[in-house]
Amino acid sequence: MRLACDTGGTFTDLVVETNDGGLQMFKAPTTPDDPIRGVVDAIAKAADAAGLSTDQFLADADTFIHGTTHAINAIITGRTAKTALLTTKGHKDILVLREGGRADPFDMTSPYPAPFIPRSLTFEVDERIGAGGRVLNALNEESALSVLSALKAQDVDAVAVCLLWSIANSAHELRIGELLDQHLPDVPYTLSHQINPTLREYRRASSTSLDASLKPLMTRYMGQLDRRLEEVGFKGRILVLTSQGGMIEAEELSKAPIHVINSGPSLAPVAGAHYGAIEPGGDIIVADTGGTTYDVSLVRGGVIPLTRETWIGQPFRGLITGFPSVDVKSVGAGGGSIARIDEGGMLHVGPESAGAVPGPVCYGRGGTEPTLTDACVVLGYLDPDYFLGGSIHLEYENARAAIKRGIAAPLGFTVEEAAASILTLATENMVQAIADITVNQGINPANAVLIGGGGAAGFNSVLIARRLGISTVIFPELGAALSAAGALMSEIASDHRATQLMTTRSFDQDAANAVLSSLEEEGRAFLSRTDAPYERQKISFSVEARYEHQVWEIEVPLPVNRFNSVSEIEAFVEVFHAAHERIFSFRDRESPVEIVGWAARASAQLHDGPVGRLAQMDAEHSDKPIRKIYLPNEGAVDAALVRFGDLTIGEENRGPAIIETPFTTILADSGSTFTRTEQGSLVLELD
Amino acid sequence: MSKEKMSGATLAILNNRFQGIARKMANTLLRAGRSGVLNRGRDFSACVVNANCDLIAAAESLPIHVLSGPDLMARSMMELHPALKRGDAFLHNSPYHGCSHPADHTILIPVIDDGGVHRFTVVAKAHQADIGNSIPTTYHGTARDVYEEGALIFPAVQIQENYETNEDIVRMCEMRIRVPEQWRGDFLAMLGAARIGERELLSIGEEIGWDVVEQFERQWLEYSEGRMASALAKLPKGRGEATSTHDAIDGTPADGISVKSIVTVDPDECTIEVDLRDNPDCLPCGLNLSEACARTSALIGVFNSIDPTIPKNAGAFRRVRILLRENCVVGVPNHPTSCSVATTNVADRVSAATQRALANIGDGIGMAEIGAGLSPSSGVVSGVDPRTDKPFINQLFLGATGGAASPNNDAWLTYLHSGNGGLCFIDSVELDEVYQPLIIRERSIVIDSEGAGRTCGAPSLYVEFEPESCEVEVAYVCDGVLNKPAGVRGGLAGGGAPHFVRRPDGPTRPLGQAEVARIADGEVLASYTTGGGGYGSPFERPVPRVVHDFREGWISRERARNVYGVVIDEDGVADEAQTQALREASVTA
Repeated sequence: MRLACDTGGTFTDLVVETNDGGLQMFKAPTTPDDPIRGVVDAIAKAADAAGLSTDQFLADADTFIHGTTHAINAIITGRTAKTALLTTKGHKDILVLREGGRADPFDMTSPYPAPFIPRSLTFEVDERIGAGGRVLNALNEESALSVLSALKAQDVDAVAVCLLWSIANSAHELRIGELLDQHLPDVPYTLSHQINPTLREYRRASSTSLDASLKPLMTRYMGQLDRRLEEVGFKGRILVLTSQGGMIEAEELSKAPIHVINSGPSLAPVAGAHYGAIEPGGDIIVADTGGTTYDVSLVRGGVIPLTRETWIGQPFRGLITGFPSVDVKSVGAGGGSIARIDEGGMLHVGPESAGAVPGPVCYGRGGTEPTLTDACVVLGYLDPDYFLGGSIHLEYENARAAIKRGIAAPLGFTVEEAAASILTLATENMVQAIADITVNQGINPANAVLIGGGGAAGFNSVLIARRLGISTVIFPELGAALSAAGALMSEIASDHRATQLMTTRSFDQDAANAVLSSLEEEGRAFLSRTDAPYERQKISFSVEARYEHQVWEIEVPLPVNRFNSVSEIEAFVEVFHAAHERIFSFRDRESPVEIVGWAARASAQLHDGPVGRLAQMDAEHSDKPIRKIYLPNEGAVDAALVRFGDLTIGEENRGPAIIETPFTTILADSGSTFTRTEQGSLVLELD
Repeated sequence: MSKEKMSGATLAILNNRFQGIARKMANTLLRAGRSGVLNRGRDFSACVVNANCDLIAAAESLPIHVLSGPDLMARSMMELHPALKRGDAFLHNSPYHGCSHPADHTILIPVIDDGGVHRFTVVAKAHQADIGNSIPTTYHGTARDVYEEGALIFPAVQIQENYETNEDIVRMCEMRIRVPEQWRGDFLAMLGAARIGERELLSIGEEIGWDVVEQFERQWLEYSEGRMASALAKLPKGRGEATSTHDAIDGTPADGISVKSIVTVDPDECTIEVDLRDNPDCLPCGLNLSEACARTSALIGVFNSIDPTIPKNAGAFRRVRILLRENCVVGVPNHPTSCSVATTNVADRVSAATQRALANIGDGIGMAEIGAGLSPSSGVVSGVDPRTDKPFINQLFLGATGGAASPNNDAWLTYLHSGNGGLCFIDSVELDEVYQPLIIRERSIVIDSEGAGRTCGAPSLYVEFEPESCEVEVAYVCDGVLNKPAGVRGGLAGGGAPHFVRRPDGPTRPLGQAEVARIADGEVLASYTTGGGGYGSPFERPVPRVVHDFREGWISRERARNVYGVVIDEDGVADEAQTQALREASVTA
C-alpha cells in the first residue's frame, strides 16, 4: 500500500493506493502551527474509513510520499536559520542588487526588498576566479580564516558560499568547505557550484542562500515526520516530492532542501500529463483552483517545462530561487477572492482573499466581504445543504445579502447579475494567467486540452475554455487532489547539472562527452543510493542553449547520449531550431547555437503498472433532478442535476447540467456535452 | 445600443482584456528580441492607442516611452498617410514627428476593421543596440545637430504594405547600422509583437462589436479621468517651482542646463499644470528633448507623486496641462536640433524639478530628485575581443542605484533613472565577462552616500572594471558629477557620479563628462553612480531605522550622529538620552 500526502494551504490531501491498485482520497484541514498533525489526521481518516486502527492500517503501508509547504512557509515568514553568505571580495552586494527589475515603475508604496541574507552577515573573501576558470587572485587563506572566526562570533546556524566563477573552477569554494568542516564542524553549509551550477551569480547566490538557510529546519522537520509516522505505526519508506516534479529520499532532502520549495504544485502537471494524454504529443494546460490562488502549469508535447524564474512571493518584490523548477504560474484568484467596487465604480475580484479564516461569507465564520464562492452560491452552483457532501452548511441568504450590498447595489444590478459579473471577472483573471504562461512557453491554448483540477475548478472551467478557444476540458476523478495524484505517478528523480560554455561554431566533441560522462556518473550514483533495479534506471540528457547574442536560454533535450559524429551535432542543432521555433515562432538558421548548461536527469519508476481508479464513494446529496441556475452567458436556466456515479461510461450527455462528484461540482453550459470516461474522468466538449 | 452605458463590471472585464493584449505584445517583444538594451535594459514598450490617438493600454513599458509619444507618433502616421489600409506597417523614430529619440525604433500598425475603418494603432518600440550614428553609441551627447549625430531618421516611413516588407528600406538599414543582424532580429521581434496586437484587437472587435469597443474606450478614459480627478482633489492647493541642473558638457552653457518646472495644483478644479516654458532655447548638443520626452518627463514627475493605481492613459492626462514652448531645450524642437539623448539626461531633470516643485507645495506629496543615470557603468562598450578576434558593441547595465525618497518610503534602490523607473535589469558579472573581454573588479554600495532624510534616497554604487588583455572604448553621457540629486523639505542630496581611470603605476587619469573613453590594457575604469535625494529632515528619521542602517553598514556611526542625530554605542544600540538631547538641540538651534 502506498500513501501520497500533500500539505496544501487549506487542506492536507491524502490519496491511498491499496494493494489491489484501487485509490481512495481523504482531506483534513492543514494545521499550520504543526503541519505534521494535519498529516496524521488525514491518515486517521483513512484508517477510520477502512474500519481499522491507525496502527493496523499503516502496518500494510510500504511507501509514504510527502509534499510539504514547510520550507516555503518558513521562507515567507522569515523563520529560516541565521545564515551567513561568503562571497568574492568586491561583490558583497550580490543579494542587495539582485537582478534589478521592478513590477510597477510608479509604485512608491512598495518598499525595496531587503536582501535574503543581511549585509551584516555577508562576508567577502579575498580571492577571484575569472571567466573560464583562470585564477586571477589566489584564495587568501588568512582572509578566509578571519571570516570564519567572525562567523563563530556571530553564532550563525548555516553558511552559504557563492564565489564568482566557482562553476568554472570550484577549488576556492571546496577549500572554504574544508575550512568550514575544520573550524565550524557542526554548522551546515552549501557550496554554490554544488547546489546550482549555473551562470549568473545572483541566481546562484540566491539558491545557495535559500538552501543553506533551510538545512537546520528541514532536517528537523524530516526527523519529526519520520518519528511521528513511526509512532502511529508506519514502518515503510518516506519519499519527498520535489519542485522538479519527482521524488527523492528523505536523506537526500536534508542535503539539499531547496528541492522541496514548490513541492506540491509541481506535481500537478505530472497528474495532468497522465489524465490529459488524449493524443500523443498534445499540449496540456493544467489548472488547479484553490481557495486563494489559481495555479497553472503545462505539459508541452509530453514534456513538463522547467524554469529558473520561480519567484517566492510577488515578482520583483519576493525572492527568485534561480533553481530550475516546474513552471507554475500562480495568480491571486480562487474561491476566497474578494469582490469590491472601487471609487471610480469599477469592479475588482482579488487578489485580496478571505482565506481560510474568516473565509467566504457563506461559510458563516465571520466573513463579511463577498467572494467568488459566495457568487457561486447565489448563482445556484452550490447546494447549500450538500456542500462537500453535506459536511458544511452554506449560508445562502448571507452570501446573497453581501453581494447585494457590496456589488449589486452600487452597479444597479440584480444580485444574480452581480454574482455573474464576479464570476466573469475572476474567469478573466484566470484566462490572463493562462495567456501569460502559454505565450512564454510557446503554446497556443486553442490547440491544448484544459485539465480542471482543484475543488473549485468546475464552476468556471467552461467559461475559461470558451474565452481561450479550448474545445476539451477534462476533470480527472482525482482532480480535487491533483498534486497527491501526481505523487503516485511520479518517479524518483534527480537532476545533475554543469556549466560549460560551448558553441556549435567550434564544437569540442571530447569536452562535451566528458561533461556528459561525469553527469551520468553522478546520476548513476544517485540511483544506486535508491533501491531502484538497474533495468528501471533512466538517464536523459538536456542542455540549456540559445542563439548567439541572445540573453536567455531554453532547455532542449539532447537526441544523443554522446556526440560521436558531425551528423549527431547537426541533429542536435536541428532539435534546437525546432524547439526555438516552437517557443518563439521563428528559427535563425544562420546563427550558431551556444550551449551554456548541461543536465542529466536520473530517474526510476518505483512501482508497477499504471495508477488505479478511485473507489466509488457516493456522498449524500439532494434528490431534486432539476436546479435553477444562472449562467453568465445565458441567464437563468434549468440545469439537470447529475450524479457522476449515475453516468454511463462513454455516453454523451448535453448541458446545461450540474454534475456533482463527492469532491466537486462541475458546470456544463448549453453549448457543451459531457461524458464519463473509462478512466474515471469527466470530459467536457464545447461546441 | 452603443450609447448605453456599460457597467463597472463589463468595464473591468474589457479593460482586463485590453491590458492583456498589450502584455502579450510586450512578452513577445522581450522574449524574441536580441540586443542587450532590449532584453536586459528592458528598454522597450508595447501599447495601444485608439483612432483618436488616445493611449488606451500599455504594458510593462518604460515610462519615458509611453506616457506621451505613441499618441504623437500615431497622429503623424495618420497625417502623413491619410489612406491607411490593413496590412500597412510604419517604421518611426523621428523626434520631430512624435518619437522619443532616434534610438527608439518603433513599429506602428493601424488596425483596420472589415469595413475599412481605422480603429486602433498598435505601437511596438525598442531602443536599438545601434542606429548608425557617427560614433559607436546611440547616445551622442555632443552632436551639434542631427547631421553630426548621423542616425537614419524615419518619420513614419511605410515599411510594409499588404503584410509585405519593403526590403529596400531594410537593406538601407543594414548598410548603415553596426552589427546589422542584431538590428534585424529586433526589427522582426517588433513587427511580430505589433502584428499580435493587431490580430487580438481585430478579434475582440469581431467578438463584441466595434460599437461596444468604442463605448468601452469612452468609458475607460472617463473612468481614468475620474480617478485622476479624485486624486488631485486630495492634494493641497498651491503653486510650487523648482530648478534642477544638468552638468555642463560641450554645447551647453558653462554652468550646465538649468531646468525650471512650475507646478500649479488646483484641487477645486481637480487639475494640475506643469509649465516648462521658462527655460533655455534649444542647444547645439544632443541633450535637447523631443516633444514626446518633454511631455512625458513632466507626466512622470506628476505620476511619481500620486496614487500609483491611477491608470496612466489619455483619460487621466486630460487633468494635466503641460505648457511647452517651441525651440526650447525642454519643449518642441525644430529640425535639425539633435535630440539624441532625449530620454535620459535632461528629461530626468524635468521629472526631478517637477516632483520637487510638488513637494514644495506641501509635506506628504511630491518626491526628492531621482539620480541622474548613465554613468560609464551604463556606457556602451566596444572593441575587438581578443578571445575570438571579433568586434563587439553592447550597452553595459552593470548597475545603478539612484532611487529617490518619497514622503512615506525609502527609495527603490535600483532605479537607474526617472524615465526607466527601475524596470531595467542589472547585468550579471559573469555574463558580462563572457560577452565582453572585461573583468568586473568591484560592484558595491558606497557607505554614507545615501540622500539622508526622514525617508532616504539611494546611496551610490561604486563599479570598477578593466579590459582583459585588450583595449576597449566606453561611450557615455554622464550627469550628476557636479549637480547631485537634491533632497526636498530638508532632505539631503544623494551621492554624485565622479569617474576616472586608475592606472597600475602612477596617478589616476580624469575622464570627461561625455566622451568615448579609451581604456588601455592594465587600466581600470572606476565609476560612481548617483544616489537619490532624501525627503524631510534626517533628524525626523525614526531612530530604529537609523540603527538598522548602521548595523547593516549603509551608514557609519559618525554619520548617524552628525546627520541623523542618533548616538549609537559600542554595542550598536541607540543611546536614547544622548539622541534625544542631540535632536532637541537641533530643533531649538
